Amino acid sequence: MTAVAPRSASSVQASKRTEVLENRPVNLDGFVEEWPEKGLVAMESDFDPQPSVRVEDGRIVELDGRTRDEFDFMDTYIADHAIDIEACESAMATPSVDIARMLVDPRATRAEVVALGRGLTPAKILDVVKLMNVVEIMMAMQKVRSRRTPANQAHSTSAKDNPIQVAADAAEAAVRGFAELETTLGVVRYAPLVAIGLQVGGQVGRGGVLTQCALEEATELDLGMRGITAYAETISIYGTESVFVDGDDTPWSKAFLASAYASRGIKMRFTSGTGSEVQMGNAEGRSMLFLEIRCILMAKGAGVQGLQNGSISCIGVPGAVPGGIRAVAAENLVASWMDLECASGNDQSFSHSAMRRTSRLVPQLFSGTDFVCSGYSGVPNKDNMFAGSNLDTEDYDDWNTIQRDMQIDGGLRHVREDVILQVRNKAARALQAVFAELDLPAITDEEVEAATYADSSDDYPDRDVLADLDGAKSVMDRGVTGLDLVKILERTGFGDVAESYLQVLRQRVSGDLLQTAAIFTPDFVPLAAINDANDYAGPGTGYRLSGERWEELKKLRHVTSAENPEEEVS
Amino acid sequence: MSTPTQDPVRTLSLREVGPAERGTRADEVVIALSPAFGDPFTKTIVDVPHAEVIRQLLAGIEERGGSARVIKVYKTADLAAIAHFGAKISGSGIAVGVLSRGTTVLHQRDLARLSNLELFPQAPLLDAEVFRMIGANAAQYAQGQSPRPVPTRNDQMARPRWQAKAALLHLKEFECIDHSRNAVEVEPVITRVD
Repeated sequence: MTAVAPRSASSVQASKRTEVLENRPVNLDGFVEEWPEKGLVAMESDFDPQPSVRVEDGRIVELDGRTRDEFDFMDTYIADHAIDIEACESAMATPSVDIARMLVDPRATRAEVVALGRGLTPAKILDVVKLMNVVEIMMAMQKVRSRRTPANQAHSTSAKDNPIQVAADAAEAAVRGFAELETTLGVVRYAPLVAIGLQVGGQVGRGGVLTQCALEEATELDLGMRGITAYAETISIYGTESVFVDGDDTPWSKAFLASAYASRGIKMRFTSGTGSEVQMGNAEGRSMLFLEIRCILMAKGAGVQGLQNGSISCIGVPGAVPGGIRAVAAENLVASWMDLECASGNDQSFSHSAMRRTSRLVPQLFSGTDFVCSGYSGVPNKDNMFAGSNLDTEDYDDWNTIQRDMQIDGGLRHVREDVILQVRNKAARALQAVFAELDLPAITDEEVEAATYADSSDDYPDRDVLADLDGAKSVMDRGVTGLDLVKILERTGFGDVAESYLQVLRQRVSGDLLQTAAIFTPDFVPLAAINDANDYAGPGTGYRLSGERWEELKKLRHVTSAENPEEEVS
Repeated sequence: MSTPTQDPVRTLSLREVGPAERGTRADEVVIALSPAFGDPFTKTIVDVPHAEVIRQLLAGIEERGGSARVIKVYKTADLAAIAHFGAKISGSGIAVGVLSRGTTVLHQRDLARLSNLELFPQAPLLDAEVFRMIGANAAQYAQGQSPRPVPTRNDQMARPRWQAKAALLHLKEFECIDHSRNAVEVEPVITRVD
């Protein structure tokens, strides 16, 4: 029998200053002590294994202190598929401090450090990045990220799963510069209509935008194969066998799914992140970063071109322990170092404090990554069906100002109001035409008008949800494909939108989007690690913000004219 | 977040009355508690006292004319397993499963373990009022009715504030698992401390 009373609050009277501090947003965030025995520790744990490797008869027989008979399936997968057997013994013999310095030193080329990385085990990689502080991690990132030109990804979702809202916000996000757009649902059955809204709206905003719909894996693949979406990202992997098995998955099943996308020429990446294993209570006593490095190597072994990482939906866990955000920056670095496209998080509500939100973003924004956010909420956070992002539509002007202040390219730009209204309106009208042609519940002119000027889902007339869900089902039952949508757009007077959409679909045949870190320019020129390779080699090299793009980023909502200080330019 | 000062403080004792056995009352609701509920933990992730959780669940059940039994499970800290076990020994087949941190599920004997009648996954959003509504719905399910589900709440800032503490509480609850100890029926004794 037990008898317990809740702890009483402190009876000490607080100073007025303490009251001020208590009321700061940062004190709404949660922080916990480390518990390394259980894996509640970012990246420095006595319980992580020491690096080791032994090769016999062309096969790894020992990995990080375990012999092959002690391997779990992650060890087996990494030993058999991720590590370059030829390179590993000499790479492992290189002192970690030498490797860490090569990562930072601009005189060591990206190709050299990537080649060395191919021979390293998870514990050795951890040993290397543990030597690096956050500035060194950023230094290394600007060299090892695979694509030269940074980019960004947006979420376009609706708290009411309203396809018109998703289309209008997709168009706005596209014209603001996002290279990829992602949606998901509150009510999963709405998916076909919302995915169509995203695709149509995205193509209205500018050419070359790629879209995806995060769903249960079979439906996500189906929408991709139909050409209603252009790529996929929500293929989650985990750092321990127990968590993997909890999800009824193995590295082999995930690799099989990856090959299903590849078979249709569809771009895809895996998703992982620090904190997921300890969150599920099965970290097996390893640090968050050690387990994430296992995920990164598993992704590499599966042959996928990229990885979304940076803790992602578990950011509250590394965010609450000492050094956790350094570990998150390090996991992005390791993904890039392992020659994968890195969509680097900054995609989930992380802190109540605007200062903490910004500082969490700095490593990826300042050094540049393949997608700084994965993604940035292109809708107000209350409409974000990924449970909120680190950045949302309210932050657009702040983001643009930081780009201008620091002369860095975070993938976005300020866009004049008339242009934004025009693309939002056109996206809603294009979707109106598509719905009419497909005999889906009509989109009214009132809804088109609302979409043009809206901020959130509250600003739209309510849809008949049950009728929409019937319509969504009929889209799947009738086997509507991306090509059907292209034809509809062409014959309803949206020829330019149809042309853009068709270009996205045609890439499946050419396979250009299967190259590492591939995106499109607005003119449909693919930019990937093979034709836009990161050539950073120290000051004066690599991606530099200059010329036309820099002129574009100098523009903000309010800038006083030098010529006539009584006016503003925009 | 703390309990308003005007509320009286109540303590909870769970007095063991015997092994948890199959009930016979056709309208009973079993409240199945996790290994650390009440001891060593005393309150949910947002400091709702465990005494208050039990008090509100029982009040909700009672005001809908139901009856309740409380059991404590030691062999697992998996909410679905705790609740499903409770449902299997419940005379009505209905159980409320509650973890120490507050996460709650309404379960029914005939459902698959990982399915449920109603799930309340965001423990930080569960307050006294919600626990009372959960109790009321449990009683109605136990009487063969189909109540309107308790409205779900959502807070996109719950992650930054609570995610890590939830992970910590989850790990601690796991440490309280006793594989050798069978579930017991307990009599909740709620004492007001003035």
